Amino acid sequence: MSRAFLFVDDSPLHHQMYRLIFTRGPLAGNTLYHASNGREGYALLTQHPELTLVFLDLNMPEMNGLELLARRAVEGLHPHVPIVLVTTESAEEDEARARTAGAWDYLRKPFQPSDVERLVARALAQAPGTAA
Amino acid sequence: MPGDNAFGELIDEYVVECLPLAERAADALVELERRRRAGTGGEELLGSIEGWLHTVKGNSAMMGLAAIQEAAHVLEDLCAALADQRGPTGEALLALMVEGGGLLVDQVRGAPTGAAPEGSAAWLSRARERAGADHAGNGRGADRRRGERRRGGAESDGANVVRVDFRRLDTLLEVLGEGLIEQAALVEAFRRVSRRTAAVPGMPDLDRAILALEKTMKRLEEIVMATRLLPISTVFGRFPRLLRGVAEGEGKRVRLLMAGGDTALDKAVLDRLGEPLLHLLTNAVVHGIESPAERRRAGKPEEGVLSLAAISRSGRVAIEVADDGRGLDEERIRARAAAMGIEPGAEGADPQGLIFQPGFSTAESVSGLAGRGVGLDVAAAAVRALGGTIAVRSQGGQGSAFLLDLPLTLAIVRSLIVEVDQERYAVPIAQVVATVRADPKALHQINHRGVAVWRGDLIQVTDGGELLGTGSDVEPPGERRGRRFYVVISSGGRRRGILVDRLIGHMDVVVKGLDPALGRPDVVSGTTILGDGRVACILDPVRILEQRVPA
Amino acid sequence: MSGDALLRFADEVGAAGRPEAVPQAAELHLVTFALDREHYGIPVQRVREVIRVGEITRVPQAPEHVRGVTNLRGRILPVVELRSRLGLLPAVLTPRSRIVVTEAQGRVLGLLVDAVLQVTRIPADTVQPAPDDVMTPQADWLAGVARRPDRLLILLELDAVLQPQR
Repeated sequence: MSRAFLFVDDSPLHHQMYRLIFTRGPLAGNTLYHASNGREGYALLTQHPELTLVFLDLNMPEMNGLELLARRAVEGLHPHVPIVLVTTESAEEDEARARTAGAWDYLRKPFQPSDVERLVARALAQAPGTAA
Repeated sequence: MPGDNAFGELIDEYVVECLPLAERAADALVELERRRRAGTGGEELLGSIEGWLHTVKGNSAMMGLAAIQEAAHVLEDLCAALADQRGPTGEALLALMVEGGGLLVDQVRGAPTGAAPEGSAAWLSRARERAGADHAGNGRGADRRRGERRRGGAESDGANVVRVDFRRLDTLLEVLGEGLIEQAALVEAFRRVSRRTAAVPGMPDLDRAILALEKTMKRLEEIVMATRLLPISTVFGRFPRLLRGVAEGEGKRVRLLMAGGDTALDKAVLDRLGEPLLHLLTNAVVHGIESPAERRRAGKPEEGVLSLAAISRSGRVAIEVADDGRGLDEERIRARAAAMGIEPGAEGADPQGLIFQPGFSTAESVSGLAGRGVGLDVAAAAVRALGGTIAVRSQGGQGSAFLLDLPLTLAIVRSLIVEVDQERYAVPIAQVVATVRADPKALHQINHRGVAVWRGDLIQVTDGGELLGTGSDVEPPGERRGRRFYVVISSGGRRRGILVDRLIGHMDVVVKGLDPALGRPDVVSGTTILGDGRVACILDPVRILEQRVPA
Repeated sequence: MSGDALLRFADEVGAAGRPEAVPQAAELHLVTFALDREHYGIPVQRVREVIRVGEITRVPQAPEHVRGVTNLRGRILPVVELRSRLGLLPAVLTPRSRIVVTEAQGRVLGLLVDAVLQVTRIPADTVQPAPDDVMTPQADWLAGVARRPDRLLILLELDAVLQPQR
């Protein structure tokens, strides 16, 4: 069954990396959406309640990752869609901050394809009413 | 190593993304240093610099490029340290960072081959030491700044960008060119048919269809040309950093002002523009701008000003490189010309023209850089090879300005098609000022050269056949085979009329280069294929006007 | 060359390009053509095609032996006046005149000849150098002479022909 994923990041290179991960190996064959800033990302999130997982970069112009999470919390937009905050910051307070803001999980850069696969597997396992 | 990294194959994309960021950071560090020295602050740059470094760090980490990641990381730390530093320690630190910025750029550039620039390891250990010493007082300040940091808005929509090999755009242009040629052939064939056939049902439809095709092809041409356009800032951006090294080496203080960075040019022109511009700028720093002491004596501010400005105008781009230095020393130029055996009063022997001749340098000392007089003639040749012109304006003691005029593109040239002795030629419209009916009574001979009165001025008139080698030189110009028109061409302040047999029309011609087998003709800059499939030579008015006309 | 002969010729030239058509070491595979009354040969691998002579546009100030350029399917092809390059008078075009499109170090150039004859193989041992006084320094284009049963075949050093000469 084809799933949908959203990537919000201002780095074209990162979009290429996500594409690479999601066209080779176990994650191939899914629908991918790309946004280059928080505002675009929020719009795409609004349009796609069926998203399995969102990868959200922290540092972006025009609404960064935390701002997007905050807005979503305030407006109560699709709370069932898990969002992973992606960042280079590695202090524990950053992780805690991300979760309080509403991130489902936290992905540290640099990451490997396997880290992404693990997150996707967990998200699928948790999603209500999903078959294998 | 990129090789075994999961994302290794994206190394080119990595360079595309991170090289501009590294360059921006390096350039901004240079600018920051300048502002600190001038006492105008500059701290507001730190936030952006840290942002760029942070991105380079993250991306390098993802690609497994540990050395670059570390260099960026240390530079980031040093940025934080700098915010609290003043005075000489701040200066030394900033110098260290500027050095690191330059090295970072080279490292990113060399990432695909794994080439590490010389000195990067040594710099890293020095920098680490320095960063370690400052780390104690650093703490949360850096994080706070980072939290507030806005990365400079992505200038392109990253998610919707496609990377295309530029050679594909060349192919696209080539095929478009063939389309234009075929369209011209179609139009010509239609004209021939319609001239012989009276009203035939379907003709108006055919006519309309051809008109529609022409409109669409025109739009297509504009779109294809637009894909090849890049802002001139891609070339300008490197200059502050490169010139800083030159200025330091010469013991000069120079500020570079740039304007018109978003002026767009065809990439093929841009690629060949960087070097001549750098030559001119380097030359200005080495020869134009005086030493701080000399400037003080002359009542000028110690810091010299170099300005670089670009503006686009009706299919051409004008670029000015100006300095407020000592200007051209006409005396020394004339003396040097005499020493080189060039006669005064010979055409092109004015000081402004002489400095572009090979071997011409009035510098006493021969520094490793521009001191050999190599720069200017090479720069001038490169500009001309692009179909452009270069001229200089100077005021003794006050400064000089080099003026470049370049075509927007090398690929398609709007031209006037003329016929001389049954051969057809394309004359680029950009250099055509007028076409005039040749009245034999209005053409005169002075000193064996043809002359005409045109718009109140006396201009030289050359026979097209003689210029292009198809005519005999027996009869006086104008009477030769009854040439019916002359075309007034203009470039670099000079004008001349060229006598031709017929004016055929206007056309956007696709420029095909001159095969090396054809040598290096002075009067022709390329070839093209006209509507009937025949090849026509494209005249080079710039070169034609630069030459002396033999009697 | 008639239509059929041209097709056969094209097949031959095309065949020469395929790897399996590499001639044996003891043979030379040549395209032969005529200038005045003499016959000349160049290696078939260097010949891309043979075309009829269309319009040749003169290029001002072109080097001495370049007659001009012509349109080869949208590509500008310089045409070398082979006759003058070899010291003969320039060609007068006839219906048999042809342009032999050759390749030298990645560059493509056309050779104007009076007529194209055939593609042929000759045994390498029939080739000998021209007599000493025939081989003047200017004749850098002369690679040798092949003795055929009915006539002499002058072999051209194509790179020398196509290079700009002194």
